[in-house]
Amino acid sequence: MEEDESEVQEDDEFEDEETTRELVVPGEVLTEDVNNFLPGRGTILNDTRDKIISLHIGLKQINKNYINVIPLRGIYTPQPGDKVIAIVVDKNPVKYRCDINAKDDAQLKPKNTARRGRPRFGRGKDFSRNQRDDSNTETFDIGDILIVKVLSADRLNKPELTTVGKYLGKKNGGIVISIDPPKIPRVIGRSGSMIKMLKSLTNCNIFVTQNGRIWLRGDNIAYERLLIDAIYKIEREAHTSGLTDRIQAFVENEKTKRGIK
Amino acid sequence: MVLIIKDEYPDKLFREDGKRLDGREKTELRPLKMEVGVIKNADGSAYLEWGNNKIFAAVYGPREVHPHHLAKPDRGVLRIFYRMATYSVFDRKRPAPGRREKEISMIISDCIEPVLFLELYPGTAFEVFIEVIDADGGTRCASTTVASLALADAGVPMKSLVTAVAVGKIDGEIVVDLSGIEDKAGDADLPLAITWFNDELSLLQFDGSMDADEFDTCLKLGKEAAEKIYQIQLDALRSKYISIQESVNQSSNTSGGDE
Repeated sequence: MEEDESEVQEDDEFEDEETTRELVVPGEVLTEDVNNFLPGRGTILNDTRDKIISLHIGLKQINKNYINVIPLRGIYTPQPGDKVIAIVVDKNPVKYRCDINAKDDAQLKPKNTARRGRPRFGRGKDFSRNQRDDSNTETFDIGDILIVKVLSADRLNKPELTTVGKYLGKKNGGIVISIDPPKIPRVIGRSGSMIKMLKSLTNCNIFVTQNGRIWLRGDNIAYERLLIDAIYKIEREAHTSGLTDRIQAFVENEKTKRGIK
Repeated sequence: MVLIIKDEYPDKLFREDGKRLDGREKTELRPLKMEVGVIKNADGSAYLEWGNNKIFAAVYGPREVHPHHLAKPDRGVLRIFYRMATYSVFDRKRPAPGRREKEISMIISDCIEPVLFLELYPGTAFEVFIEVIDADGGTRCASTTVASLALADAGVPMKSLVTAVAVGKIDGEIVVDLSGIEDKAGDADLPLAITWFNDELSLLQFDGSMDADEFDTCLKLGKEAAEKIYQIQLDALRSKYISIQESVNQSSNTSGGDE
């Protein structure tokens, strides 16, 4: 659980072959050729149906005959199945309230925090005095960092979370940093290339989640600081090309500069 | 002793050479500068300098609505908080939000709402805080312009930006982009906002007197002026990312790396 080599699989939309890296703004006409192109994600047809218009500030991408816009800014929308980093902000006997960086706080019910594996019935344990040890569910405190999976999410109800599953549960130690959620695919890179490179260069454990939060822990603080700088650099330059090579050069450069080879 | 300073307006709002008091032509805009991403902790932000107007806008959201009774179960709400700094005008502006602030907040909200997809965010609010640091005529138009820019910077899905500009009549002549003194001493004032999605007017207020032909001229001049402002808005929005791209290209060229 602690030394997991966890990765998040994500469609590498930033690294797609057809990404033109053309910067578009809301209201910009992407094409007037509506016979050959269809409006995809982040786009809309205008009222007279003769223009395709961008809804975001982002990068224009043509996928077959769909025109998409990959946003550069935006909020995280929870989807069922996402693994995210949550912070417990409130706690009562019925549920935990967790901040998952979405528009609503998420709920974590005790039934979804069941302990994995066989219940530990310790020899000599005094069940009468401490009933909690008897419980089959994990208990958390306000402020705990959890890695959770989204069980259900839609635009009307509060998302529901679970800590039952591989890699899920409370994280002890490490650092959590936050970046813009739309730039997360760039931190992962094409089929995880960026994250693998960062891991091997800095000897840090990284857990990247869809809601823009990144958990990391390294052997020493110097490596962790370097990794954080690199991630913020990725966030800043997410819309530029040749990022993986540039970040690799940056990390190696900084390593010699900071003397942590 | 109470010191009363009366506003004094000049008799003529045109100079002898036919230009306006600040040296502009009739259809000339005041110098305009915009920037996005100026407030770090906001989800999106923008800053605008339009003549002597200096305005900040910050966007937060979608987030929970407080007070809770303002939340709508089927759609989000756009809440605009237009405020003027106490030192933004000649007399000390009382800091409590008054009738004028509430009205301007409401009209800006109504005028930007049509380009947003609020039905995607039920029960939540987008909150835009507009802080007028320095005011010199046309702050409602400037605030609308900068608020839409801040919303776009925050990544809120929107059909297009919104641009607003005031057109008016001073000394019997139609002029574009009234300054503070022209606004007060002039004959008519016509602020208008355009949503570029369908080239529709989403704000049209009118104060003063003019005839139908003059009104048509005003609309035409207003649209021409708004197009110029729209280009500046787009440039401001793009420049945040383009400047990063350029700096990256420069550094990679100097270090000999290839893209």
